[in-house]
Amino acid sequence: MNYLDLSSRLLQLGERLAKHAGKIDGETLGRSARRLAAQLDAFEEHLDSYLASRKSGELLLETLIRSPAGKRHLTIELLKHGLRQIAGKRLKSGDLPAAKREFIELIHEAGKQDKGVEFLQGAFAQAVHVETGGKDKLHLQHEFIRLGQLADEEFAQEIGKRTFGELRRMAGVNGIKFTDKTTKRRLTALIRRYAQRAALNIGVARVPSQT
Amino acid sequence: MSSKVLAFINFKGGVGKTATVVNIGATLAKLHEKKVLIVDLDPQSNSSVWLMRPDRWREHVSKGRRSSFQIYDDALHGKARFDFDEAVVKGVVTWTGFTDLPRLHLLPAAVELLRIEDRIHELRAPVVYQILDSALGLHFKGYDYVLLDCPPNLYSTTKTAIFAADGCVVPYVPDYLSLSGLMVLAEQIAEMREKFAPYLPARRKPNIAAVIVSHYRQAGNVFRLAVNELELSLSQLHATGLLSDRATLLQPYIRHCVRVAESTSEHLPVILYAPASIGAQDYCDLTQRFVDLFEGKK
Repeated sequence: MNYLDLSSRLLQLGERLAKHAGKIDGETLGRSARRLAAQLDAFEEHLDSYLASRKSGELLLETLIRSPAGKRHLTIELLKHGLRQIAGKRLKSGDLPAAKREFIELIHEAGKQDKGVEFLQGAFAQAVHVETGGKDKLHLQHEFIRLGQLADEEFAQEIGKRTFGELRRMAGVNGIKFTDKTTKRRLTALIRRYAQRAALNIGVARVPSQT
Repeated sequence: MSSKVLAFINFKGGVGKTATVVNIGATLAKLHEKKVLIVDLDPQSNSSVWLMRPDRWREHVSKGRRSSFQIYDDALHGKARFDFDEAVVKGVVTWTGFTDLPRLHLLPAAVELLRIEDRIHELRAPVVYQILDSALGLHFKGYDYVLLDCPPNLYSTTKTAIFAADGCVVPYVPDYLSLSGLMVLAEQIAEMREKFAPYLPARRKPNIAAVIVSHYRQAGNVFRLAVNELELSLSQLHATGLLSDRATLLQPYIRHCVRVAESTSEHLPVILYAPASIGAQDYCDLTQRFVDLFEGKK
């Protein structure tokens, strides 16, 4: 059932009840009607609260704070900063769950729910971590592929021109995992292997010469 | 409303097409308050049974009526039995028995779609490519995002989705089988770009707009190396002109998460089923980048 179905049912019930209202009586029906009226009171209260919070933007504010993005990115510092920026107020709570509740309350008091939503959406957008790999990433990836196309001797010559630090940077950018204990020789072997694989897999491998 | 129509395609199966469509769609509706339509075009009907209880889905799409199948069947028989308002399911039903995500709409698929490929060749180009666009184009305007969940092939149904879309999103698992498929896919889409050009408005050209990595695992360097090869491959495709400069590898990568798999059995997107899971968090962050990309906030 959805809410539209429920509203149709309530309308139909209302019409039937109105049609027979002057004729119905009895204790069983009366008790059931009283329970229904109590349930309707509770439902109306929830509905009113929902609609009011939706209209004011508070619902989205709460949804965002309790969202997976909120769980991952929200910190007390961020909430403090946001509250100061939006409502010019100070956040007092020392732990995150309480700070979230206080943030919502104070934003609501200030009537700045829309600004609160805007702030959170902006903060989440900024917080999404994107690995760029640095300015020279593209260059190092192209170098990696070029190395993968070289014959053994050419490869050895090219590697000889590079420092250990440069090789570590190239390996890191191209997804090769290594530790502080990885030697230059081992790292060179890893670069050789994975550069050749990459060249082959993306279809730019040179056919080895028959020497 | 300026809608963005995106075809989620990869002719390799098991790359997370449906998971991506369902979870990005739900996150767009829930956290970004976007009006979203998911169109399930796969005879396996995975988006449909992810978002609907199987008994409700079977009843809804009985004999293929009230499903995407009807669009193709109408085209083959020259009829107009498809009724969009009747076919579309609004929101998802939660454990309470009532609907949540009212902004998320679904046009379900039916297994009868399997029969379409056998007969669709009876129609000639360009009519065959225009089937989906002609039937749904006007309805798309009522949504912020339309996500077309395509079957894992590049047959006619998928082509109609590519024709109707502003761009393609390619879900991708970081391994060589996906990599080899991506290069073929890029070539195929480039071919379609030429083939469709006379029948499409100038602003709409089939292209790969984004690649999304799923089933990612941090362990070892297996996936890091595979993603690096994907980046190298994309760079090569850019250089050869098979991929437009705007085509982006979206981050973060969606990590493997058992709660996402589990959410299929609950018939809920992971953002509703397990909002604290890494799957829900990854999809939230990815959807943010998705919005940034498609709404020009890159």
